[in-house]
Amino acid sequence: PLGRRRGPSWRGCGGPAGGMGLEPEPLFQAWSYFRRRKFRQCSDLCSQLLERPPGEQEPDSEYTVFQAAWSLKTRALTEMVYVDEIDMDQEGIAEMVLDENAIAQVARPGTSLKLPGTSQGGGPSPAVRPVTQSGRPITGFVRPSTQSGRPSTMEQAIKTPRTALTARPITSASGRYVRLGTASMLTNPDGPFINLSRLNLAKYAQKPKLAKALFEYIFHHENDVKNALDLAALATEHAQFKDWWWKVQIGKCYYRLGLYREAEKQFKSALKQQDMVDTILYLAKVYLRLDQPVTALNVFKQGLDRFPGEVTLICGIARIYEEMNNISSAAEYYKDVLKQDNTHVEAIACIGSNHFYSDQPEIALRFYRRLLQMGVYNCQLFNNLGLCCFYAQQYDMTLSSFERALFLAENQEETADVWYNLGHVAVGIGDLNLAYQCFRLTLVNNNDYAEAYNNLAVLEMRKGHIEQARALLQTASSLAPHMYEPHFNFAILSEKVGDLQRSYTAAQKSEEAFPGHVDTQQLIKQLKQHFAML
Amino acid sequence: MSLFKARDWWSTILGEKEEFDQGCLCVADVDNSGSGQDKIVVGSYMGYLRIFNPHPVKPGDGVQPEDLLLEVQLREPILQVEVGKFVSGTEGLHLAVLHCRKLCVYAVSGTLGNVEHGNQYQIKLMYEHNLQRTACNMTYGPFGGVKGQDLICIQSMDGMLMLFEQESYAFGRFLPGFLLPGPLTYNSRTDSFITVSSCRQVESYKYQVLAFATDADERQEPEQQKLSSGKRLAVDWILNIGEQALDICVVSFNQAVSSVFVLGERNFFCLKDNGQIRFMKKLDYSPSCFIPYCSVKEGTINTLIGNHGKTLNVYQDVTLKWATQVPHIPVSVKVANLQDLKGVIVTLSDNGHLQCSYLGTDPSLFQAPRVDSREINYEEFNAEMKELQKIIKEATKTQDILPKSEKHRDLIVTAEVSPDLDAESQAIDSEVKAEAVPSVTVKITIQSRVTAQKPNLAVCVQAPLAVTCDQFVFDDLEPDSSETVVLSVFLKGNCSPSELEGSCVVSYSTPTGIPKVAQCNFRLPLRLICFPAQSSKAANHKLTIDTNKPPISFLTIFPDFVDPSEDDQANVLGFQFLTGSKTTLLASKTSQRYRIQSDQLEDLWLITKELTLRLEEHFKKQNCKDFACTFSGSIPLQEYFELIDRHFELRLNAEKFQELLSERAVQFRAIERRLLTRFKDKTPAPLQHLDTLLEGTFREVIALADAAEENQANIFQAFTKLKSATHLVIMLISLWQKLSTDQIAILEATFLPLAEDTQEL
Repeated sequence: PLGRRRGPSWRGCGGPAGGMGLEPEPLFQAWSYFRRRKFRQCSDLCSQLLERPPGEQEPDSEYTVFQAAWSLKTRALTEMVYVDEIDMDQEGIAEMVLDENAIAQVARPGTSLKLPGTSQGGGPSPAVRPVTQSGRPITGFVRPSTQSGRPSTMEQAIKTPRTALTARPITSASGRYVRLGTASMLTNPDGPFINLSRLNLAKYAQKPKLAKALFEYIFHHENDVKNALDLAALATEHAQFKDWWWKVQIGKCYYRLGLYREAEKQFKSALKQQDMVDTILYLAKVYLRLDQPVTALNVFKQGLDRFPGEVTLICGIARIYEEMNNISSAAEYYKDVLKQDNTHVEAIACIGSNHFYSDQPEIALRFYRRLLQMGVYNCQLFNNLGLCCFYAQQYDMTLSSFERALFLAENQEETADVWYNLGHVAVGIGDLNLAYQCFRLTLVNNNDYAEAYNNLAVLEMRKGHIEQARALLQTASSLAPHMYEPHFNFAILSEKVGDLQRSYTAAQKSEEAFPGHVDTQQLIKQLKQHFAML
Repeated sequence: MSLFKARDWWSTILGEKEEFDQGCLCVADVDNSGSGQDKIVVGSYMGYLRIFNPHPVKPGDGVQPEDLLLEVQLREPILQVEVGKFVSGTEGLHLAVLHCRKLCVYAVSGTLGNVEHGNQYQIKLMYEHNLQRTACNMTYGPFGGVKGQDLICIQSMDGMLMLFEQESYAFGRFLPGFLLPGPLTYNSRTDSFITVSSCRQVESYKYQVLAFATDADERQEPEQQKLSSGKRLAVDWILNIGEQALDICVVSFNQAVSSVFVLGERNFFCLKDNGQIRFMKKLDYSPSCFIPYCSVKEGTINTLIGNHGKTLNVYQDVTLKWATQVPHIPVSVKVANLQDLKGVIVTLSDNGHLQCSYLGTDPSLFQAPRVDSREINYEEFNAEMKELQKIIKEATKTQDILPKSEKHRDLIVTAEVSPDLDAESQAIDSEVKAEAVPSVTVKITIQSRVTAQKPNLAVCVQAPLAVTCDQFVFDDLEPDSSETVVLSVFLKGNCSPSELEGSCVVSYSTPTGIPKVAQCNFRLPLRLICFPAQSSKAANHKLTIDTNKPPISFLTIFPDFVDPSEDDQANVLGFQFLTGSKTTLLASKTSQRYRIQSDQLEDLWLITKELTLRLEEHFKKQNCKDFACTFSGSIPLQEYFELIDRHFELRLNAEKFQELLSERAVQFRAIERRLLTRFKDKTPAPLQHLDTLLEGTFREVIALADAAEENQANIFQAFTKLKSATHLVIMLISLWQKLSTDQIAILEATFLPLAEDTQEL
């Protein structure tokens, strides 16, 4: 191999002048780069191989080298943008409301994720643990699906305030998938590597060795679900419906297209041929989207019979229990996860936050400290550590933790969280002036921070600035109608100044957000007596 | 992510800018010392072959010169090194080195010197094979069950398995369906080769089947080579794992059943000899290398998996037993016996970092960087803090969320309403049915004494009045500059307004970024909404306002409505609203009274208000301070209640419409959903008039929406009327009880209808 064009990384490191270039075959080199996940170099090297005029190639292996390089480049480009499809989840408003798969409009308690209020596991009340918009207790680990509430009606979905953090796309077709799909434009300024419209899918479907890599490229890199589905359908036909992998891929495409029942069929058929952890996870995901958490749980449990101790399956069960507000079962399963894999960050974080909200900050502190020792080093962790330290009465560590959290904050939302917690600490030590300033700083960093508005209002109320307090509370309740605190505070405030009408409306809203709140019920009772007297 | 880090026993960095990959590391007693001590053999893509025998004085030591037994440059990239019984006639271990186009087998031997650093090691080439095809990787073993020797099988980049029986070339076979090479290993129990093909399946080929298949090299035509010889090669078993694999290992320890371990890109599989999955584990990281080794627990196998997160995980079957951090991404990992230390983990990174380590509870020394190493001077800080607190206190006084009234404003906005109506009306899109809708010009001036950034002027009049343009955006204002805009106000909706006032608001921000507003109100002339007309004597509603001064001629106080040529208008004046209704104003000739009469209660308001305002103005001009109006008649409560009832009824209607609308919308969506399921079906069922139902519901929704809209317009009119009447009632009460301005304000605040008419109420 004399005078061969060299790969970019080999330039400048000349071998001894013996005529033999000290350089492996370019294809081998690219293959090795791929194995070491150096995808950029691998793709560049493959591009050079593909550009070479056929005459320069070795005559006997011309056909294969070209195909091999093409396939390798496809795989490298895919790996660069690969996100595990199981973790991808985003539900748009249209999917949620035009959900033609719902079996019953009003599901029985414990069988649906849409009714978060029914807690069977003795989960903490909203007075102790904050809830998300959909009324679920907040979790210790942010996943794509934890942010999406499920509003029950179209009206409610549209009414949900759209702050920068809660904005959801109208349909998932316009959401995060689209942003992922632009990868092809970023990586190749000259244009896409494969022009999908010119591709003869039927031809590729007959070559199983090329088709699988090509499918993943179309699905993950180009994000063109329809073409991917076409290819998968042709390929599975060519494989005489005997290849479970293609069935799973078809199922993935169907899922993306919102054809959940069809996806379910494909996954089930694939599972019949070959038990695979991924297939089980996909099937459970379909059931979750169909709002059948109990079926999903069964799928997971059957999967555990086949693959005992599989962390992803146990973790899936824990997540479902958590979403169904069955916190104690969720904690049990998270503990099982840790028995199998004691470095599982999600499980540690969830157990930690669970301890924190069940009034055991010392234990929560130990979990968070463990995360820190394991090398998790970010703002959120120090934020949690600071709060735990404070509630566990380790005041010396509190401020330094928050200091680090501020130092590590990557965006304004994180900074706002830290200042908000600092405000809490200040309230706790009775420095209302500092608390006031902390909450103000929270708002400077994140103007949509409803909790900070609420707390500021309480401080203003103490100072006797009724008008300010009222304005702040109104802002808070319009930003976060799912929180009961601003409504309740507003009700108390209005009642104090004698505005019974407003007090009553606010108290009703508070009751709607948190039906079990005793103080609200008392206030309503009191107000009703007033009205009766009038 | 791990609590612990691997304890460094011995480590070194090989060469400069050299590259290494999976096959480049091998651990064995390559010089046949017989001591059972392993040596570490490393080959690089730059062609360097190195053999180490680490014996650190204390753990964590660097490389000693005598640790490196041998370093030679072989002039060709080294793809893989293996140690086995490769030379016939002897059971001694030899070193096989795979280059791109060559396979060399060397004997490694050492001669002892007098002192330790006097030991000499050299390699001797036993035999070499030149390869016809570019090699990729190789495996070795007692193929066919031969005793006491190892045969070598090389996989080429284009998918040919080349088998060498030590010094001689045996045969070559093409793998079927080949595209890119996968890992290759030999399973001695079943005497078969296992690889993962480009079709993403684990494939097992019996050695015997390979041996008896047609020889690939005997074929003359290269085209036929790939096509036909592939078909002949029958596969023993296939397992579809759906992903590419990084490595395959076969283990058979005494206590555990023999298993094939496959490290995929996303999962880790353990297979039985017949290709069934024993267990698998989904990995939540990108693995880079692995090695199974024996376990202390009966029936289980431990596996070390290295990943791209610089961690080594130890699994016992699928349970994570230990995780440890390593300082680099390992591309290859081995377990060796070195210097009487059993089970040393040897890792190699792709840039030549070779490390021997062992597991220990050394916490990973992750030191969070110091946030701020500034020395804290408490006195200074206290002083600064106090200073800042003071500033904040000052600032909160002046810039609160609710602005306090400011005495001197930095930006002043003034509105000037021209006394005459526009010669040419500017009204557009007016719904009023009168022949001509007049308009009046308002000139708004903004004067700024400071720099105002992004000033934004909003002009607002109460519907049904409207302005020709209600939003103005200006460039940043310099200090002491001004801007002027001109716009026109006209009556748009087909009802009389309840107020003849408008306001304009300027919002801007100071250069420091504090948002501010300035506003002013202006009063519109009565002529905008009514014009003089014939007075009428009879009317349903009459009001009488008493004053303590003799009546003034309308010629003086309503000069814009009275035609001076007509004498009889001195004490009788008719107003015709643009919307059609009439109001008459009478001044008593004898007593100090004025009478306002109209067919509609709400129409009385604007005229009464205008009358009292003009009277007050008139007497103010004459410096007569004790002028007062009073009202002694009965307040028209009955009529007022009727208006309230009407408005309430409409509100109820609105609620009903909304309910109906949401009901129909739900029905519509339900039908849509059914249709969607029908259309998605592969064998579409008949629609069963669902489309008709859909269209019908759609029409109903639209009709309901129209009705709701109409109702809304009615509510708006009723509300305006109610507002006028409320104003009137408040005014009459205050005249009757002679209330002060503050008292009037309280009274006004109690009446809800003066506020917005929203759903919230």
